[in-house]
Amino acid sequence: MNNVTQIVQKVRQAPWRVQRQWIGLFLLAPVLMAMVAGIYLNVTVRATVAGREIQIMRNEITANQHINADLETQLAGLISFEDMQQRAESMGFQPASLDDITYVDVPEYVAQSAVDLSTPGVTKPAAPVILPAYTESWFDYFMNQQAPSTSAGGQP
Amino acid sequence: MKRQPHTGRYLIAAFLLAALGIGILVQIVRIQNSPEVAGVINQGTQIWKDFFPPRGEIYDRHGSLLAGNKTVYEIGLDLTVKPDMPTVLLALQMSGIDLDEVNYRISLAPANAEYIILDDFISVDKAEKLMALQKAAHGDPTGKNLDAVYFKAHYARSYPENDLASNVLGFVTEDNHGYMGIEEKYDNILAGIPVRMLVPADPRRATEYPTIPPGETIILTIDREIQASVENILDQALVTTGASSGTIVVMDPRTGEILAMSSTPRMNLNDYQSISTVFSGETPFNRAISEAYEPGSVAKILTMAGALDSGAVQPGTVFFDTGSILVGGFRIVNWDGGAWGYQDMTGCLANSLNVCLAWVSSTQMGSDSFYSYMQRFGLGHATGIDLAQETTGRLKLPGDSDWYPVELGTNAFGQGVSVTPIQMVMAASAIANDGQMVYPHVLYAQIVDGKQINTKTQIVGTPISANTAHTLTEMLANGLETESSAALIPGYRIAGKTGTAQIPLPGGGYDQNDVNATFIGWGPVDDPRFIVYVWLEKPQSNKAASVVAAPIFKQVIEKLVVLMDIPPDAVRLQMIGR
Repeated sequence: MNNVTQIVQKVRQAPWRVQRQWIGLFLLAPVLMAMVAGIYLNVTVRATVAGREIQIMRNEITANQHINADLETQLAGLISFEDMQQRAESMGFQPASLDDITYVDVPEYVAQSAVDLSTPGVTKPAAPVILPAYTESWFDYFMNQQAPSTSAGGQP
Repeated sequence: MKRQPHTGRYLIAAFLLAALGIGILVQIVRIQNSPEVAGVINQGTQIWKDFFPPRGEIYDRHGSLLAGNKTVYEIGLDLTVKPDMPTVLLALQMSGIDLDEVNYRISLAPANAEYIILDDFISVDKAEKLMALQKAAHGDPTGKNLDAVYFKAHYARSYPENDLASNVLGFVTEDNHGYMGIEEKYDNILAGIPVRMLVPADPRRATEYPTIPPGETIILTIDREIQASVENILDQALVTTGASSGTIVVMDPRTGEILAMSSTPRMNLNDYQSISTVFSGETPFNRAISEAYEPGSVAKILTMAGALDSGAVQPGTVFFDTGSILVGGFRIVNWDGGAWGYQDMTGCLANSLNVCLAWVSSTQMGSDSFYSYMQRFGLGHATGIDLAQETTGRLKLPGDSDWYPVELGTNAFGQGVSVTPIQMVMAASAIANDGQMVYPHVLYAQIVDGKQINTKTQIVGTPISANTAHTLTEMLANGLETESSAALIPGYRIAGKTGTAQIPLPGGGYDQNDVNATFIGWGPVDDPRFIVYVWLEKPQSNKAASVVAAPIFKQVIEKLVVLMDIPPDAVRLQMIGR
């Protein structure tokens, strides 16, 4: 029995050490909370900055659309039929009449066809992609981290 | 065991820190779950926002912009900051903004209003002047600044070609609604829908902003160059003939695409408020689709088409014209009151003999066959053209309370039946297009998600056979050549028919002074590329369509063959032969 007591006494930590460990453990909680709050603040700030940039870009897009519409209309006014006719006449041109035209057979000639205003290679704008980090919960985040990664076509 | 000297202090510090942490957590949970606090937060983070999507643009078939958008401003005033009104009004005046309108709007504002709209649809120039004044007055220590003035940009319709094709386009009012023409017919796809909604001000929720789709852009079948030429010719025609109004329609008979459509009067679409003065009384906005009239002898081509197709007559069938014929107890005479003796069917058409055509309809065809063909040609029904305000005209049928047997004779030469120009053009397209009648339309294509979707040609019926169509076209072409019509141009073979029609009076009977002069024709005969309809209302220089309408037709096709790159027949056939 004495031997046992001696062994316990040998491995038992000093009481002040135990107290400090308890205090340390107790303080760990606020430290962890501070860390979580710090990370949360960091993510929130980044999300806010990104969101603000989106808002600014949206406003710029709207402003540019207005400018484009104005410029298109101004350009159309400058090349309107009446303006173009006046400009051509002032430069000494006149509308071609039947007698002014000589027809020449041009092989492979393709006559003027109606306009095609399709946008080349147009695709529907994709929905905005938001990183999961901005939307998922901590629980989801940790679960995703723990989940084993899979690879397609895993042939040995 | 001896207690460490600072243990008590550590414990107190730990307890306080723990209590603080727990307190913060409790407070966070309380705030987040408090409905009252959540309401306050949402009130501050959600704002009303207006979304003004641009209206779809309208182009002609070669990509010239006919209707676009321009930026205008709504000028508003925040009353919660107690703005200095004399300063605001002075600035508005200096910017060229109409103060009468502003004062009127202020007078309508309720006493407790927090925000009022001072004026709307202000041009960019004026708004920029006001913005410059606002910038200069910003931070004025006396409080005489313009910080309470707000600018909201939005779109307004703009027509760079002013009155070109105005009868076809229609116009858009300040409430973004289309009226008349294309703007009304396709209002639902052209107009983006303005939306006013609560959106989160929180930047982290920026992706929750709605995507407001713009109006769809459309392309018309109208050719700007042809349209302008036709309008110019029509304007000159009214001056030279003294006609009260006029209409010209140009269509591709193979596809039904309207290349040009003009009627008088026209208006500058950028000044749509002038509509009540330009179109006073019951003046139709577009006579080509909205005004039905008795077309006269141009309808003879439909009678003859039906008669040939049914086998009632052949081109060589001979009729002895005594100068009059009795139909339903009434005597019908020729336009000149004369007797033309022996005539084959080509002669009947070339000389436009009423007696002959009344004989064809009443004696050779009979009412069942005649009216069956008239209905097959679409008379009495709207064509369905994609323009607002189309009217149907009237084809009275046996059995109708106001139908009389004599009308079987008069309808054969286009009296007692009313049609719109577009109805006649559609009906005649069957003769020009191998018996197939095409649906007339103005929409060439629409742009959906960046892709162009073209309108397909629609055949609305085959009232006559291809053989009948070719035979009649030959007869009409020969008729024009025989009489050396003023409608012909050298090098091109054209088929066509004049029509000089009496105008019915509201109380019954016909106007003895004025007539309607019409010409319908198509060409080149062997491969028609255009069908042209000319209608002059009450010409004064001469009443005969062959004198007033045929030369207008000639002017139009002289332009058409140049603008559409149609070589003379000989050159074209030579090219095809190679």
